[in-house]
Amino acid sequence: MKRAGQVFRKNLNFIIVLICVLLFAFASSVFAADIGNCLLCHKYPGISRVDENGDLKLFYVNEDIFNNSVHAKVNCEGCHTDIKKVPHDPAKKVDCLIECHIMEPSTEKKFSHKDADFFLANSVHSKKEKDGNPKKFAEDMPTCKDCHDNPLYRPLSFFKKVRYGVSEASLGRCRVCHKKDEFIYRFYNHVTTRLHKSRNPLNIAEVCARCHNDPEIVARHNLSTKAVYSYGETFHGKAARFLDERIPDCLDCHVRQGESVHQMMSHEDPLSSTYKDNRSNICTNMDCHPSASPKFATYSVHAEFNKTQSPVQYYFTFFFIVLTGGTLLPLMGIIFLDCIRRLFPHAVIKRRK
Amino acid sequence: MKSMLMKVYILGFAALSIFFMIIIWKVTFAHVIEESHDRQEVLEALQADKEKDEAPVKTTFQKIILDSEQTVKHYLGYKVLEEKRIEGHFHHIGIDIGPDKRSYCVNCHGDMPHDQIKDLRAFLNMHAFFVSCQTCHVKLEGKEKTGEFRWYDRRTGVIIPSPVAFEEPGTYKSKIIPFERVNGQLIRIDSDERISFASEFRQSKDTLSEAQSSKAKKIIHKIVSKQPHLCEDCHNSKDPVLPLDKLGYPKERIDSILSTEVVGLIKNYTQFYMPRMLHPGDKSGQEREQNRKKNLKKNKKPLTITKIN
Repeated sequence: MKRAGQVFRKNLNFIIVLICVLLFAFASSVFAADIGNCLLCHKYPGISRVDENGDLKLFYVNEDIFNNSVHAKVNCEGCHTDIKKVPHDPAKKVDCLIECHIMEPSTEKKFSHKDADFFLANSVHSKKEKDGNPKKFAEDMPTCKDCHDNPLYRPLSFFKKVRYGVSEASLGRCRVCHKKDEFIYRFYNHVTTRLHKSRNPLNIAEVCARCHNDPEIVARHNLSTKAVYSYGETFHGKAARFLDERIPDCLDCHVRQGESVHQMMSHEDPLSSTYKDNRSNICTNMDCHPSASPKFATYSVHAEFNKTQSPVQYYFTFFFIVLTGGTLLPLMGIIFLDCIRRLFPHAVIKRRK
Repeated sequence: MKSMLMKVYILGFAALSIFFMIIIWKVTFAHVIEESHDRQEVLEALQADKEKDEAPVKTTFQKIILDSEQTVKHYLGYKVLEEKRIEGHFHHIGIDIGPDKRSYCVNCHGDMPHDQIKDLRAFLNMHAFFVSCQTCHVKLEGKEKTGEFRWYDRRTGVIIPSPVAFEEPGTYKSKIIPFERVNGQLIRIDSDERISFASEFRQSKDTLSEAQSSKAKKIIHKIVSKQPHLCEDCHNSKDPVLPLDKLGYPKERIDSILSTEVVGLIKNYTQFYMPRMLHPGDKSGQEREQNRKKNLKKNKKPLTITKIN
């Protein structure tokens, strides 16, 4: 009996060790990116509350979408640094400028978005004037999350022709040297997403429109146009609405070649791409209208159909609108009445005697 | 026959001419009117700025209800991701579950009704997405207790087969509802009669006296138990309230729900560091226990997390 107990204890130890090993192996394969097992709770869409200020707080993370984002390799604790236990204490807002665990390969320093913040602080979207004093309505100036949600990969395939998506044929070549599919997919997605615009022109215009189409913000900052509205009136804007990827969006004109969106300057700044002397360089870009003359860019790009902002364009357009509407509407009306007559050839409206 | 076809042709042509009239109107005169309205809007905004130096404060209703209803489409080239947009929200949502049109509780208490117990409110709201209020807040006793629970479609309210096998955990467009026994018959607890009573109360509550209103509320909440079901009532392998297998949960999901990971999370730890092995030596447990005691006194309700390991 005693011997049987000893055997059982021996086996029990073995079973416990085996269970631990299996559990660990299972957990690491299922939640490869979710080291903290945060998705045990955060995979549920309903995990949410309304906070004391009446703001909706949604704590759901869609794992599939997250794994197709540029932050897929960053684990939860990389950004939510103060969350140490469950249930969590009230967590701090994520600071996008923290150094995360990823090494920036060219400098071998820890990766951070500090440079983007530095550029932004010296751009037209800075909260401060050049003299260091806070701008009027500084709270209107964008912070990271006003423009960025979690950026998603937009992979391209170049194998035989350029198309969206991942080229399995190309991946086959990667696999010859690289053995981990997770690495291959991430690297492929990262590189090909960065080889073109990471957002569609319409999506970019929509982001800018959140502020630049808001009549209150436009009025507060004395801006000359509801920029995305007037962009939408142009050929470029209309093509963007049809999801044309080749069409220029806001950033193609307002960001200098070789710089980032965070370095955008006011059109009054001589360094800005939209400064009056630099505008022709925008249109004559190699990818756009390389043979255009400098005068090509002198037209009023953001002219709105607006009597106050652009009176000449307004009355010119107004005349053609009235001409078009005034001709075609009665024509359609006559066609309609003619159809009615053909349907009821003998119908008469009785005249009063 | 020929004449008939001709009439259909003319009718179609007349309809087409009306269609073109609408389009021409929209791109011509309606455009002029729209511009005029926009200009007016800017003038009003300028006027408002002059009168008030700061932007008008949005009401809670605007912030929660209207702003959160924005939809955004991300054009990724190989696919389009359409989702609800919550201002300032970083992570993508990617799914739309839609409102619960059957529940008569959410009309007053909202989709995220739990806000008292800070530690647990998000967890409770999470469950409220696929578990009806009555499942936890009504404890059927004696003859009324049936042990019968089924799924209903959030949009139509109709009882449906279990969605568990076909959808990701918690993303079901349906909820669990208990059944009670009335006069020997099984009926769902959110009966049409109860829904219509609550709906009538909501419509006429502005015209009711305080006493009438109080009486109506008491009737509506009559079935609600003083003490709701606690987490461990379901998350235990011995006698869970919900018959998970009957509700269509496959064995591996049941094992997960009743696993050491979940049950242990609730039952065995007061401060459950997760996973513990990755955070050795964290000593903030005492603070957690103090908070728990404070909450107990404040709410006079036992929390679901009761034991210290």
